Amino acid sequence: MKKKNQSNPLRRRIIRQFIGEWRKYIVIFVFLALTIGFVAGMYVANYSMLQAFENGKNEYNLEDGHFELSKKASEKELAEIASGKNVDLRAYPVTIYENFYKNTQEKPANKNTANNRIRVYKVREAVNRACVLEGRLPQTENEIAIDRMHADNSEQKVGDVMYAGGKEYVITGLIALSDYSTLHEHNTDSMFDALTFDVGLVTEEGFERIESKLHYNYAWKYGNEPSDEKQEKKYADDFMEALVTQTVKADMELEDYIPRYSNQAINFAPEDMGSDEAMGGVLLYILVIVLAFVFAITVNSTITKEASVIGTLRASGYTKGELIRHYMAMPLLVTLFAALLGNVLGYTFFKNVVVAMYYNSYSLPAYETVWYYEAFIRTTVIPVILVLIINYVVIYYKLRLTPLQFLRHELKTSRNKKALRLPKFKFFRRFRLRIMLQNLPNYLVLFVGIFFVMLLLSFAFGMPSTLEHYQKHAVDQMFAKYQYILKQTVDKDGEEITTERKAAEKFAVTTLVTTSGIRVGESVTVYGVEKDSKYIKAGLKKTKEDETPEVMISSSYAEKFHLKKGDSVTLSEKYTYDEYTFRIAGIYDYMGAVTVFMNIDTFRTVFDHPKEYFNGFLSDEEITDISEDYIATTISAEDITKISRQLDHSMGGYMDYFKVACMIFAAILIYLLTKVIIEHNEKAISMVKILGYENKEITSLYMLTTTWMVVVSAILGAYLGVKAIILVWYEIMKDMDGWLSPYVGISEYIKMVVLVIIAYLIVMIIDYKRIKRIPLQEALKNME
Amino acid sequence: MSEREKYFLEIADLRKGFGKGDTRQEVLCGLNLTISKGEFCVILGPSGSGKSTLLNIIGGIDSADSGYISINGDKLEDMGEKALTAYRRKHLGYVFQMYNLIPNLNVKENIEVGAYLSEHPLDVDELIHTLGLYEHRHKLPNQLSGGQQQRVSIGRAIVKNPDILLCDEPTGALDYNTSKETLKLIEDINQKYGNTLIMVTHNEEIRHMADHVIKLRDGIVRKNERNTEKISAIDLEW
Repeated sequence: MKKKNQSNPLRRRIIRQFIGEWRKYIVIFVFLALTIGFVAGMYVANYSMLQAFENGKNEYNLEDGHFELSKKASEKELAEIASGKNVDLRAYPVTIYENFYKNTQEKPANKNTANNRIRVYKVREAVNRACVLEGRLPQTENEIAIDRMHADNSEQKVGDVMYAGGKEYVITGLIALSDYSTLHEHNTDSMFDALTFDVGLVTEEGFERIESKLHYNYAWKYGNEPSDEKQEKKYADDFMEALVTQTVKADMELEDYIPRYSNQAINFAPEDMGSDEAMGGVLLYILVIVLAFVFAITVNSTITKEASVIGTLRASGYTKGELIRHYMAMPLLVTLFAALLGNVLGYTFFKNVVVAMYYNSYSLPAYETVWYYEAFIRTTVIPVILVLIINYVVIYYKLRLTPLQFLRHELKTSRNKKALRLPKFKFFRRFRLRIMLQNLPNYLVLFVGIFFVMLLLSFAFGMPSTLEHYQKHAVDQMFAKYQYILKQTVDKDGEEITTERKAAEKFAVTTLVTTSGIRVGESVTVYGVEKDSKYIKAGLKKTKEDETPEVMISSSYAEKFHLKKGDSVTLSEKYTYDEYTFRIAGIYDYMGAVTVFMNIDTFRTVFDHPKEYFNGFLSDEEITDISEDYIATTISAEDITKISRQLDHSMGGYMDYFKVACMIFAAILIYLLTKVIIEHNEKAISMVKILGYENKEITSLYMLTTTWMVVVSAILGAYLGVKAIILVWYEIMKDMDGWLSPYVGISEYIKMVVLVIIAYLIVMIIDYKRIKRIPLQEALKNME
Repeated sequence: MSEREKYFLEIADLRKGFGKGDTRQEVLCGLNLTISKGEFCVILGPSGSGKSTLLNIIGGIDSADSGYISINGDKLEDMGEKALTAYRRKHLGYVFQMYNLIPNLNVKENIEVGAYLSEHPLDVDELIHTLGLYEHRHKLPNQLSGGQQQRVSIGRAIVKNPDILLCDEPTGALDYNTSKETLKLIEDINQKYGNTLIMVTHNEEIRHMADHVIKLRDGIVRKNERNTEKISAIDLEW
C-alpha cells in the first residue's frame, strides 16, 4: 500500500496529554497568560503613551527649555536673546515665549485643612499648550483649569470651587500640561508631588488677581531642531553661555536655566515608563525561564516514566529528533497559546490596568492605542524561544541515551558505583535523606523559583519598608523643624533681616553638583553652620585658608557615592563650572538628603562671601516675623518626605496585589514541582503502602523533606532576594537626585518567608490527598 | 533462493562482553551464523546465554565488541547513529516481552505509530482484522488484556512491513493459551508477509514451529539446524 500523507500519530497524544494533566497545564497556562498579558499591556500602554508624548511635542508645541530672569526682560533684550546678537552659535535663532507664573497656596473649597501649593500660569496659546481632558479652559477671571492628576488626588472636579492665593476660582477644566507630565515643583526634587503641588491655568485677568511673586519665566524653542541628544546638549550649553553674557549685560540675573532634556517634569514620566518596561521585561523573562525549567522537569519526569515506550519507538526507528519534537510540543504549545491569549489580554484588559496605574501617577495627555510589534516579539516570540531553548537542551540531554538504555531503564549515565553512605541516623531520617538526594535537581529548580518569588517579594515588602523607614528617620533626623532660605539678607531699608525667635540660628546654604562618582551632576546641598550649632552637632572647625576645606558629609551622600572619611570630593557650580575640592572629615548621620556640612566661616571663605554672610535660619519654632517676600524656600518635614509619600501613593496600593501574585506564583511553582516529586516516587509510595506504612508515615517521609527544602529555600531565598533587590535599588537610585537607603526589617523577612510557607501549606493539602490516592497496585504495574 | 537471499543475515565472529577486569564477562564468544530471507528463526537458550544481546545487536540497539553483522550486504558496524536509526526505521520491526504501548493512544493509533515510519505500510484496518483486534480498535491499552496488548505491539511492529521482525520473548508475560494464540499470529504473519522473523525465547517447544533453530549457551552456538518438519503453533504443547 502506498503511504498516504500521514501525520505523526504521536501528535494525537498531545491533546490527550493535555486533557490527562489539565490541572497542571491550565495552572501554567493561566499564570503565563496573565503575566504575559500584564507585560504586553505594559508595553502597549507605554508605547502608546510615549507615542502620544512624542506627538504632543509638536501638538502642544513643547518648549526646548526654559529660563527664569530676576526681572522682566524688555522687548529689546528679548529680541537680542532670541537672535543671539553678537554671538555666533549654532543654537540660534531661538524663539522666546513669555511663560510667567506665580506660586501660591491652593485650598479646595470642600477641604478646610488642605494646604497645597499651586503654580499658576496664564492660558498658554503659543507654547506648552494644555491637553484638556475634561471640561474646558478658563474664560473669565474667576475660572481655572487645574492638573487632572492633582485634582484626582485632592478630590476636586470640574465645577468645584477652589482658592488660589485666597482668591476664589471655579474649576472649569482638568488638564495635562505638556511641560508637567509629572508634577515636579523644583527640578532638583527627587520625586514629583501630585499630592500637594498643582499647576493651573487662568485668564490674564485671573492671573492678575493672584498676589504673589511673579516669576519671569521664559520658554524657548530652537529655530533649527537639534538632530540628536548630543547636539541638543551642545545647543543648550551654547545658549546658556550666551544667555549668561546677555543677562549680565542687561543687569539681570539668570535664576534658573533648564533645557528640556534635563527637565524632570517633562522627562521623568517617559523615562520611568521606559524603566518599567525594561523591568517588566526582565521579570517576565525570569518567570518564563523558571516556568520553562518547570516544564523541562515535568517532561523529564514523563520521559523517565515512558522509558520503555521511548526505547521501543527508538528501536522501531523513530529518530531522536522526532521524539525531541514530540516532547517539546506541549511546553511550546502551552507557552505559545498563553502568549497569544496574553497579547489579546494585553491589548484589551491589561493595557487599561497599566494606563490606570500611570494616570494614577503622571499627568499624561490623552492617548490612542498603537499596535506595537515589539511587544508581540518580546512577549510572544522571546518567551517561546526561551522555552524552546531550555526544553530542547534538557530533552536533548535526556534523550541522548541509546534505545537499549531506555528499554532497560538505565537513564543515568553516571551511575554511582556505590550508594552514598549516610551517617548512622535513624531509619526514617536516612530514608528522607535518600529522597532528598534523589530529588536534588527538582529541589534546585524549586529553590531557583522560590528565590525568584522572594526577589519579587523583597520589592513588594522592601519598598514600603524603605519608605516608612525613610519617613520616620528622615524626619527624626531633621536638624530643625524649619529651614528658612532667604532671597536676600537685607530688607528694603538695607537693614539685616533678623527674627525675634530665640530658637533661630543663622546658616548659609548653596547648591553644587557632583563632578565624579556614580552620578555626575547630582545636586548637593552645602551647608555652612556655626561651630557650636545646636541643630547640626558636627563640631565643624574652621579650616585654615591654605588647607583643603574640611567637611562632613551626610550618611546618604556617603552611602550613595561610596565615600568615607579621609576621601576628597570635588563639586562644581551648576552653571559656571567653578570647582571646589573638600576633604571629608567625617560622616554625619543624616539620611534626608545628599548634603555637605562645613563651618560657616569656611563656607564664607570658600564661596568668597563677606565675613557675616548667611542666607537662612534654622529653627525649631516657626518664624512668622520675616516677610514672605524675603523667604525663598521653607523646608519642613513635608518637603523632606515628599519623595517617599509620592512613591507610597504611586506604588503602595499595588504592592498588596503584588504580594498576592507572588504568593500564587509560589503556590503554583511548589504545586508543579512537588507533583513531579510525588509522581516520581509513586511506585515507591505504593510499595511502602503495601508493606503496611500508614498515610501519615508516608506523608512524613515524602513531604517532610519537601517541607524542609521549602523552608530552607524560603529563608535563603529571602536573604538573597533582599541582597539582589538592594543592588537593583542602587541602580534605580543612582539615576535619581537624592538617596533613599534601602531598608528591609526583620519583620519583613519573616513576612516573606511566612507568605511562601502559607502557599506551601495550601499545596501540602493537595499533595497529601494525592499521596492518599496512590493505589496499592501501582507498585505492581509494568514490572519487567 | 539466490545467494544474497540465502545469506540475507550474516554474523561473523561476533563477540560481546560486559564489565572490565576481573568482573569482565563474555556474553557472545565468536558467533558465526547465517539466516536466510523469509526464514522463521528461533534463538533458544537459558538465561544469560546471550540470546537477547544477540537480538539487540542484530536490531542495531547494541553494538558488538568485534566481528560483524551484515544484513543484505550492509554491515551494521559501518553505520553511525543516524544510519542505524534509518536502518531500524526501514528494515526492522521490534516486539518485546513487555508491550510498551503508548498509554494515551488507542489500539489503531498505536499501530499507526509503526505505520508512520514506513513508506509502504500495510493497511492498518486490514491488519487490525488479522490481529483480531477490530472490535477493540478504539480502546486504550489499559482496557485490553495482556494478550491483546501484545497483539497490538506485534501489529505496531509488522505494520511497516519490515524486512526483519525481531521478537524478544514475546510470550514471556503471557499465559499458555494466549501465548499459543500469539505464536500463531506470528506464524501467520510470517507466512502472509514473508518477513524474516527472529525470535528469542527460552521455551524449547517453540523450536518446532521454526524453520531455523539456533541454540546458544555461554555465548557459543551449541546447535544450528534447520527444521524439515514444522509444527503449527496451535499444535504446540508445553
